[in-house]
Amino acid sequence: MRRFGLLLFLVLSPVAFGHGGVVEEDDLCVIKIGYLRAHFKIYVPAERQHQEFCEDIPVRGDSVFVMEYQHDGLSTAEIDFRIIRNVTGKGNFARLSDIEAIADLDAITIRYEPATVVPDVYTLLQSFEEDGEYIGIISARQPDTQVVYTAVFPFEVGYTGLGYWPWIIAAVFALQSIYWFMSRRARQSTNTLLLLAAAALFTPYSIADADESWASDSGFFTVTFRSELQPLTINRIHSWILHVEDSNGNPITNAEITVNGGMPEHNHGLPTAPQVIATNKDGDYKVEGMRFHMRGYWEIRIQIDVGDRHDSVMIPLDL
Amino acid sequence: MNSATQRIRPWMVVAIAAITLLLTYEAWLRFAPPADWSDEELSQLASLWIGNLPDLPPDTSNAVADNPAAAAFGQQLFFDARLSANGMISCSTCHQPIRHFTDGLPKGIALGESRRNTPSIVGTAYSPWLYWDGRKDSQWAQALAPLEDPNEHGSSRLHVLSIIASVSDYRQAYQELFGAAPNLMVQEEVDRAFANIGKAIAAYERLLLPGAARFDQYVEHVLAGGDHLHQELFSKEEIRGLGLFIGEARCTECHNGPLLTNNEFHNTGPLSAPGELPDRGRIDGVREVLADPFNCLGLFNDDPEPSCAELRYVRTGVELIAATRTPSLRNLKNTAPFQRKGQTATLTAVLDHYNKAPLAMIGHNETTELNLRGWELRALEAFLHTLGAPIAADEKWLHPPEKGGKGVRSNLDGENHGD
Repeated sequence: MRRFGLLLFLVLSPVAFGHGGVVEEDDLCVIKIGYLRAHFKIYVPAERQHQEFCEDIPVRGDSVFVMEYQHDGLSTAEIDFRIIRNVTGKGNFARLSDIEAIADLDAITIRYEPATVVPDVYTLLQSFEEDGEYIGIISARQPDTQVVYTAVFPFEVGYTGLGYWPWIIAAVFALQSIYWFMSRRARQSTNTLLLLAAAALFTPYSIADADESWASDSGFFTVTFRSELQPLTINRIHSWILHVEDSNGNPITNAEITVNGGMPEHNHGLPTAPQVIATNKDGDYKVEGMRFHMRGYWEIRIQIDVGDRHDSVMIPLDL
Repeated sequence: MNSATQRIRPWMVVAIAAITLLLTYEAWLRFAPPADWSDEELSQLASLWIGNLPDLPPDTSNAVADNPAAAAFGQQLFFDARLSANGMISCSTCHQPIRHFTDGLPKGIALGESRRNTPSIVGTAYSPWLYWDGRKDSQWAQALAPLEDPNEHGSSRLHVLSIIASVSDYRQAYQELFGAAPNLMVQEEVDRAFANIGKAIAAYERLLLPGAARFDQYVEHVLAGGDHLHQELFSKEEIRGLGLFIGEARCTECHNGPLLTNNEFHNTGPLSAPGELPDRGRIDGVREVLADPFNCLGLFNDDPEPSCAELRYVRTGVELIAATRTPSLRNLKNTAPFQRKGQTATLTAVLDHYNKAPLAMIGHNETTELNLRGWELRALEAFLHTLGAPIAADEKWLHPPEKGGKGVRSNLDGENHGD
């Protein structure tokens, strides 16, 4: 019981204290650099394969730090990354002010990656040769305002000062794994249910032929299409001709057309970004850059904007 | 008597019956002869059959793509180590004909170590994108990059063109195909002539196409209405593996069509290679191909009205983080080790990875757990080994050209007089 109490305390503690700029939120490890946020994780691929660590690294060796940006601001910011030995004497409670008080930062720096702009996702490989306490310092300079935001996160390598920590961590991890396992199971079964429901709802569509027309969601427009590629097959880039009419059968000639699509069952979009490249006075629009890369059920969504009429139409395809 | 009835409780009977049923069911799954293919499955099989490989699409960006003299010239260049900085490296150093134009190494080794696993050239004429990250959009543009990569040929376009100028055969072949030799003082002429070198190599590479494998013979047999249990052609285990391949294992979501690839980019969550950062893949490749002066929209496309649909309507965005191009599954025996960095040595390990579908280190793993049983994975692996076949090209293209042989106009032996 007492151990369980301790466990509970430890499970809650990251939220209670936070290791500086890195916090766990809803099962997700997040780094906050000013108002800029990124999904933060550390891997030790050789030892622990795909296992993610939020802050503390269990073993020495090659560690991969990953920041997946949740904010576009990080894609254009100049980011620098420094790792120092934690000589503040404050362990996990070290803050930016403690670091600013250090006279010679370079003397205790074990890794400095100078400021660079790295779009989409930031990664850094650091080989730790010694167990111990470290602090990561990440700065992001905004290109427009030149404002610099800094995140500081103390962490340990090899979990020093052990006591019965390993047991507790193992227990926490086991609990976490059970939780993950169960939540994953739960998610999977809902997925299966959703798929079954979807299968029940969608009777299979044959490939829509040229004469079939599709009414837009709000009924403003009627759309027909003709594929340049006949029959429609996978892995071939080709164009479509869309024909757009209003509900009275008059051609719509000046519409802004956006083509999107994907496979709802596989949760992905089109492999290309098709665009309208030509139009005529009969209400025909040539869409270039169509390609499908899997067999199965696809949905093509066509957004049609004319003046104040905004509507979209979905064309189902079975390839 | 009394004690015996006490020991056997109803729940025990139910439990034993349930276990027996389960075991019987498992054994039936595993050992019963595979059922005949359904119509849907037959249509899937037909879609993978090499007999349904469409004709080679024309490469309008390369005026000499289908010119036999260009292919012969390209073959000479492909095997010629003089194009490299140290005179030791040719395209065939990594793309070895006997290994299905790969090298059997995790990552290519030439002057230094390449960034990724050496992909096969066979069938790449069908792909809109080249390289694991698709940073090139034609065979000829791809052929240029290794020449100037410091870890590969480590050469330069001027060095390559000086070799062409100094070897009389090459000078003659170049002029017959592309016209006057370039003025090496004019950058655009240098670039154009360099592109021409790539176009000759591509004319050769276009000839390297996959042949019919045992799998294709089996499909041909069942499509013609033959017995699906044709044991001399395909074992029960291979049939089970094929059934999983087109079904539960969901392989054909990406490995589809007769080349068993959709040539698209997917993040399948591989572990990073030892000592390396996770591979960023297509997210960087798409930026590189858009900026490449030798791309479809560049100055050196021979098509006066290029469509360049693949490049113009290319998809960008964060889904491309860590995505790499689906490789063909034909000839896996010769193309090991596997994955983008060659970090996975065996097919068993690759299948185990897909079975578990771990979270990706960067980006999102598009695949989901398969939860296949051990014997199912072994059946899949057995099936994958039926996809090997010799290359469907004339034998003369599969080794270095013979000196003074067909396609070589004059003596290669006298070439060094001018050097």
